[in-house]
Order: sequence, then structure tokens, then C-alpha cells
Amino acid sequence: MATKVTMEALSPTMEEGRLVKWLKAEGDAIAKGDVLAEVETDKAVMELVARGAGVLRARLAAEGDTRPVGELLAVIAEKDENIDAILKKAPAPAVPASSAPSAPSAPSASSASSASSTVVPQPTASTPPSHPNGGGRARSSPLARRLASSRGLDLGTLQGTGPGGRIIRLDIDAAASTELSGAPTAAAARTAAPVMRAAGDSEDIPLTQIRKTIARRLAESNGPIPTFFLTADFDLTSVRELRAQMIAMGDEFKVSYNDILIKAIATALSQHPEVNAHWLGDSIRRHHRVHLGMAVAVDDGLITPIIADADTKRISEIARESRELAKRARERKLAPEEYTGATCTVSNLGMFGIDEFTAIINPPEVAIFAGGAGGDVPVVLDGTLAVRTRVRITMSCDHRAVDGAMGARFMQTLRRLIENPLMLVF
Amino acid sequence: MREAGVGATLASAPVAERALAPMHVAHLGLVPYARALDLQRAVARARISGDIAQDVLLLLEHPPVVTLGRSSKAKNLVASPAMLAARGVELFEAERGGDVTFHGRGQLVGYPIVNLREHRQDLHWYLRQLEEALIRALRTIGIASERSEGRTGVWTDGRKIASIGVHARDWVTWHGFALNVSTDLSYFDLMVPCGLAGVRMTSVAKELGPSAPELASVEDIVAESFGEVFSRAPTMLAPDSLSEMLVHA
Repeated sequence: MATKVTMEALSPTMEEGRLVKWLKAEGDAIAKGDVLAEVETDKAVMELVARGAGVLRARLAAEGDTRPVGELLAVIAEKDENIDAILKKAPAPAVPASSAPSAPSAPSASSASSASSTVVPQPTASTPPSHPNGGGRARSSPLARRLASSRGLDLGTLQGTGPGGRIIRLDIDAAASTELSGAPTAAAARTAAPVMRAAGDSEDIPLTQIRKTIARRLAESNGPIPTFFLTADFDLTSVRELRAQMIAMGDEFKVSYNDILIKAIATALSQHPEVNAHWLGDSIRRHHRVHLGMAVAVDDGLITPIIADADTKRISEIARESRELAKRARERKLAPEEYTGATCTVSNLGMFGIDEFTAIINPPEVAIFAGGAGGDVPVVLDGTLAVRTRVRITMSCDHRAVDGAMGARFMQTLRRLIENPLMLVF
Repeated sequence: MREAGVGATLASAPVAERALAPMHVAHLGLVPYARALDLQRAVARARISGDIAQDVLLLLEHPPVVTLGRSSKAKNLVASPAMLAARGVELFEAERGGDVTFHGRGQLVGYPIVNLREHRQDLHWYLRQLEEALIRALRTIGIASERSEGRTGVWTDGRKIASIGVHARDWVTWHGFALNVSTDLSYFDLMVPCGLAGVRMTSVAKELGPSAPELASVEDIVAESFGEVFSRAPTMLAPDSLSEMLVHA
């Protein structure tokens, strides 16, 4: 039975790895446990170990190639076994795992080894289920049945290698092992139950790596992180005057409200290291430098490029850098160091007309700032009704590190800076 | 000297308070690169098979050797093999991550054979833990050091004091770190260390001058901080016992 070799995650956040060396050639005999290749991330090399025996039939990546986690890298099979079906499902080189079949036949087609369910959508979506056991009930050992049920495997899809084609424990192990490495599993595929439904009723969007990471990270955040929120109105009248003056002079720096808010938050963070901090489980790390993450919406999610040392940068520099980072984020051209290592993060949905919202903390950071849409509102000043430009900012705080009064003091500092923007210039 | 250090280690580890799993620490002295590599692989195999049930930290020095990691680019080795030979430097291609580096006398080399399944199956976490152990050890010695985002290793004031490159099979690690204690830094001129152009290397001796501790005491301090960071109780293992464990494995 064929064994798929896929890119393994060397760390939970790793999305892709670089294959640095092949240690086996196509045609080599492979024993279970043989080292096939080496994958590198950062300064660590991990061996890819064969989880099945046979012959290395196909190598689908070259040394030096970077591939997404879960992508098929090689196939081990018997010498004369037909592996066309597996190879056909291999993604075209350098295309990240994405589309998956939603056809009712999905569970049976390859659930035993759906390492990377990137399937070229075929016109005949109803490929006949390839039950190796002819669709009948598979003969299997009691141990195999128990293991299969505990691992969510469908016995009907397995080819037994025991006496008379009986499915035995080894077959279950082999099938289960091809499913390692976080790719969509048989269990996941099975949920696409063969119910009657018309095409177009719904669309199944497979989880992309970024979507999986967002889900895991944010669930991690809103679960164990005891979050509370502080919302305040900030008067932008002075900021508006400042911008009006700059525009009158030709708008040389093209500085937006958002750039000024980023500068204000960064400056306040430099004065409040208790907020510019990371929660490390057994300690809180206060950062002396302010690397402000800036949430940017991209096609399939969001990413937070970082303005390093934002507190020491001039607003015009922040404006230029944030534009450049956002552009490259959308083009997916950011280098890892450009979006890792933020000490705190800012999110802004004002441009979508959102008045105010609460953002989810990006652990291990202990706070995040959510900016809404600024606008003119009626306010009462000294007993008189007046029109002022205001923006509402909500600070989400990880209560394990930031207390209410601590957060409130931060917001006071922020108010002082935003309402007196000259403080940001000097 | 070494005995005193170990005595201090034991005294400062209140065993009754928290029963940490032990971690074998073997002080091996000067070991040629090839032999150390064989030893690491043997220990790792035994760790994978379970014949060695605890994590192991091998501490040693190498005779002068330049090693090329998996990411090595030829241009980062400035010297020709002939030039290396003339300075009595061996050349090796190693299976660890990272680019080119140098090992030699006065450099504390640590090869942790750690089963990450018993810690965290995360090589990035592991790299950061190695850095943390070295940063803590350096702090004890009186040197402030830090990480540099995107550049694995330990840095003091922009100069690189320790290099890191690891390898893993089945989540068991080998290779590890190299901390310059009193290394002759001129050897690093033979290459572009770690493939990072413009990196200046430094050592404990260079940072602290005459008050710098000897390699032997640095070994003990590193073993201590290593245990702290990985929540293990460092216990000294004589090289003989290590060979014995491997024979029986």
C-alpha cells in the first residue's frame, strides 16, 4: 500500500518548510524508519522519516524548494504499484494546498490517505468510489476494527494485507501514518456525507494555512485569556487642524489619521511598558522597544506587519512605512521578520464605517487597540452643544497582565497625546 | 575546580522541593568533531529507542574545525580548504541547520540530546529555549545578552557570542550551540559566520577581560541554566558511564 510523504510541521506555527536535502533517490528501496529527506526552518533541521516501506517511487520537490505544510513531497509504494491516482492529486508545484473536492464521493475516494486533498476539480466529480474491497464489508481483525474506529478510519477504504486480504493492525498503522502532519483527515472528509444536494447550494471552502492559524490562535486567545475592554472617545479636533494645515501646505507627507493614531499609541506604549508586554505563562516580559503590529486585511485573512520602533519614528516615516507594509502584505511579499515579534498591535476598521469594535488579543501580547471611524458628533462642552470630530478606540486587555486601572491610565496618556498632537512631533 | 562547581550545583538544587526529572550532563573535554558526531548520533539513537530515558547534555570543546550546515553557501567560506589545512583547521559538512561556523579551543560546545515529545514538539520553541539558557548563563557571568529577531543565536550589544544549529529525528535533537568563552576569534575571519555578512563575533573573555571565568566554570553555569530552562535537574554523568549506557543500549 502506498505511503505518502508530506511536508511536516516542525512547529505549530510553521506554514511552510524548506526541503534542504534528499537522502534517498527515486527507485531506492525504503524500510520503515529510513530517513528520506531533511527539512529546515530557521536554524533547525528535521529529518523526514519513512512511515511505510517499499520503493521511493516519486520525489515531488527539489532540494531547496519551500513547500506548504501537508503538501505531498514523495510517494513510497510497491515497485509495480499504480500510483497515478496519488500523483494526479499532487498539487502542481509551488501552488499552496487549497481547493478540495466537495463531491459526495470524497469520503471514499481517498479518505485512507487524504494527506493533501488538493484535487484538480474534475469534470466527472462523481468518480466511482474506489473501494478496494468491492464495496462489501471489509474483512478485518477485531484489533484493526477497534484501532480504525478510534482513529476515525473507514475500513471500507483500506486494502488489507493480512491473510486473504484481511485488514490487520499494520494496515491501520500505515493508513493512519499517512495522515499525520495536519492535513485534512479522513474524519474531516467523512463529514461531507453523501447527502443529496444541488450544486451551488453551498460551497465548501477548505481551510487555508492562514485560516487555520487564525482560528487556532484566536480561539486560544478568547478561551484562556481573560479579556476586558476599555472604550473611550478621543477628540480629533486638533489632529484635524494639524492635517488641514499639512494639506494646505501640499500634503507632502500624506499622513493619515491612522498614521497619527499609530504614532500616538506607540508613544503611549513607550511610556507604559506594562502594556507593551508579552504574557509568557510564568512571567511577563516588558519590552523596552515598541514594535507595533498593524492588522492588514488580505484576501484570505489578515496579517499584522510590524512597524519596528514605531515610537521613535516620525509620523511621516510611519505613514510611508505603513503604506509600504500594507501593500506588500496584500501581495504576500512580507518576510517573516516583518510580521513576527510585535510587542503590541493596532487594528482599524474605521474605513469600513465601523464606529467601534473590540479586537482579539494576539498572544503573547497583552493588549490590542481597535480604532473605529472618526467623524463629527454633537457633544456638550461647558453646557453648550458643539460639534467635534471624535474617534472611538477600544483597548482589549489581558487581565492576567493588565488591570483595569492600569489600562485606564494608558488610555489617559493616549488621550493626552491624541488631543495634543504637538506632543507627538517633539 | 569542577568538583567545587558540581557541589555548588547540588547544594542549590533543593531536590525535596520539586522533583525534577534528571538530565545527564557529560563533560567530555576536547573531542574531535567526527568522534563527537558519532557519539551524538549514538546517544540520539538510544534516546529515540528509549534505551536512554533522560535528556542528555554533552559539553565539550573541539579542535579547530569549520563546519558547514545544511544552508551553507560556498561563498560564505572565505578560506580555501588549503588555507584551512595550513592553519590546522578541519572541514566538515554537518547535517545541522544553519550556515558555516567555526569551533575551536576555548569555545564551549553543547550538544543537547533532548526528546521534544517530553517538552514541546516545536523546533522554534526549542531554538528559543537554547537561546534563553545561554542568555541566563551569560547574565550569571555578568554579560547582558539578547536575541536578535530572525537571527538565531545569542548577541551582546550587536556582536554574536553564541551560535546555534540543531537537527532532529523523531523529535529527538542533536547538534546544538557553541558559546565563545576564550575562542581565538581570528578563526572566524576564514568565513562569513552563519552566512550573515558583517557579523562581528565576540567571546566571554573579550567582553569581560581578565576577570572572565574559565571554561570549566562556564560549563557548570550553562548546565545549570539549561536545567532551569528545560525544567530538568542537571546530574553529572562521567564519560565512562555514558559509554556504558551506549554499550547496553
